[in-house]
This record gives sequence, structure tokens and C-alpha cells, in this order.
Amino acid sequence: MSIKARLHPILQRLAGGQEVVEVTGRTTGECLENLESRFPDIKKMIRDTRGQLRPYCNILVNSESTYPKELTTPLKDGDQIDIVVFVTGG
Amino acid sequence: MLTKDDLTRYKRQILYTNFGEEGQKRLKQSHVVVAGLGGLGCSAALYLTCTGVGHITLVDCDRVELSNLNRQVLHYEEDIGGGKPFSAAQKLAKLNSSIEVTPVFRKITEHNARGIIKGADLVIDGTDNFKIRFILNKACVAEGIPFIHGAVQGLFGEVTTILPGKTPCLACIFPEIPQRRGTIPVFGVTPALIALLQVTEAIKLLAGFGSLLTGKMLYFNGETMDFTFCNLVKNQNCKVCGTREV
Repeated sequence: MSIKARLHPILQRLAGGQEVVEVTGRTTGECLENLESRFPDIKKMIRDTRGQLRPYCNILVNSESTYPKELTTPLKDGDQIDIVVFVTGG
Repeated sequence: MLTKDDLTRYKRQILYTNFGEEGQKRLKQSHVVVAGLGGLGCSAALYLTCTGVGHITLVDCDRVELSNLNRQVLHYEEDIGGGKPFSAAQKLAKLNSSIEVTPVFRKITEHNARGIIKGADLVIDGTDNFKIRFILNKACVAEGIPFIHGAVQGLFGEVTTILPGKTPCLACIFPEIPQRRGTIPVFGVTPALIALLQVTEAIKLLAGFGSLLTGKMLYFNGETMDFTFCNLVKNQNCKVCGTREV
């Protein structure tokens, strides 16, 4: 299943400047793995050493938070995921 | 009531059709809390002062350092070592003596946040860490006070306007408070730009015109000069705002 993943601006630079990347997978986790296999620097940015999503990242499906099922939320055709990063500076 | 000086000082913005004298009166009657007097807070406070918000409270517990001066435009070399709210308030008083500026040299905590913002018409997020942002988010929801979130990193920035009970809050998007990160890179232009977007939101919200950045995050990418949006949906199970009656 093909899903459109919109990347936070900080992640876009790690994906060759793309804002939207077509990914495949039946769940958010599978889509993320597909994305990370093509852009390994994204994985370093959004996962900790145990492979867990870092707390300053979240996955939205159709604009809604998937917490606490960030990596296991099932997807259907036409869904859009947003990978968001919580920026901290002021 | 606007004075003759008010009508002169704010003439150019009063000319704006959707704003007018009524909009200016509303700003004059408003109280805005600027939480954090760093890159975001300095620029936000500067323009809130220019535009004639009647009462501005400046909150920060830090002292001015040399490394702040690439972006914190209300602090000068002579202020190094001094408390940020006092340094900022001193400049703002010279810029506009007709408004009230209250410096609060305190750390925002779970215990005092509601007391600090109580009675304000809105809060501007100028903080520099996750924990205090979440404390303020929670306090604003509890007090029913609009919270205009802004944050920056390098040449990237984001803004959203949170209306308690009506729009998603920060905890809807990030339910867990992330751990503090180390020193992050930032150019002075980024918080300046994001702060001015926050003040633009504040003016519209206080004066009651235009549309707001509610239910969406505006992202600024200074490397590519792109402005993009991410739509946000309220989380009904949010531990901060999920059970609040609308």
C-alpha cells in the first residue's frame, strides 16, 4: 500500500529536500522503516539507540496523533502521515 | 479611551480597515504575558510594545550573557550579568512610556505558572525548553487563556495558536514531555521572524479580526524559504485538554 509521508522541515534536508515521500507499508511502523531504509539519516534523527521513536518526534495519521501507537497504527489507502519533530529553541 | 498621543502614535495601524480605533482600544485594554526573554521573547515584546498592548508582563529567570546577543535584541553589552526581564523592560519603557511593563524575574514552575498568567488575555511562548512549554500549555488550558506557541532551531521555526477547549494543545501532539536537548544552533533572524508571526497572531486575536493559525502548525524553513503547514486534530484523550468542556 502506497502512503504519502510528509516530513517536518528538519527531516526534509535528510531526504534530499523532499517534503512529501511516497512510502509503502500497512502500518505506521512499516512505512517508517521503508522511509528509513532509503534515508538512513532520518533514522538517526528520529530513533533512539533501542529503535524507539524519540519523544520529540511523533507520527500523525490524517493530522491526528498516533500516540501511544506511533509504530503500530494500521493504515488504509489514502491515509496521509506526518512525521513531526518538536523544536525546542527560543 | 485613546488619547491624542495614542491617535498619533498608532495612526498608521489605525488606518487599517479591519482594525481602526476600536482595534487599538482593545490592544490598549489587553494584558499579554511574554514567557521567556530570549530570541523569541525579545522580538515579541518589542513589537507588542510598538503596537500598543496596554500591559505586558515579561517573565524569565535567566541573566544576560554575551552569547545571547546574536538574537536577543532587547539586551545590550551593558546588560550582561543582569536579569533579562529588567533589561528588556528598561528598553521597552523608553520605546513606549504609555504602556505598563511588568518584569517578573522568576522561574516558571508547575506551582506558580497559573498565578503568573492569571487574568492575562494571552500568553506568548518565548521559552527555550520542552518542560516549561508544557507547563505553560497546561496552565493556559486550565486558565482558558490563549497560548501562542513558537519555537526555533537553526533556520527552522514553527508557530501555532492554541485556544483552550477549541483547538489542539501541545500535549495533543506531543503527549510526553521530551527530555531537554543540548545547546541548539540558531540564527538571530529565525526567532525574530517567528516572534513577529506570533505577534501578528496576537494582534488579530486581541483586536478580533482575521483568521488564526488554529488547528495547524506553520513551519518556516529558512534554508529553502518555504512556509508549509501541518494540520492538527484535537486528541480527545489528551491528558491536558481532552476532558475539558468546550
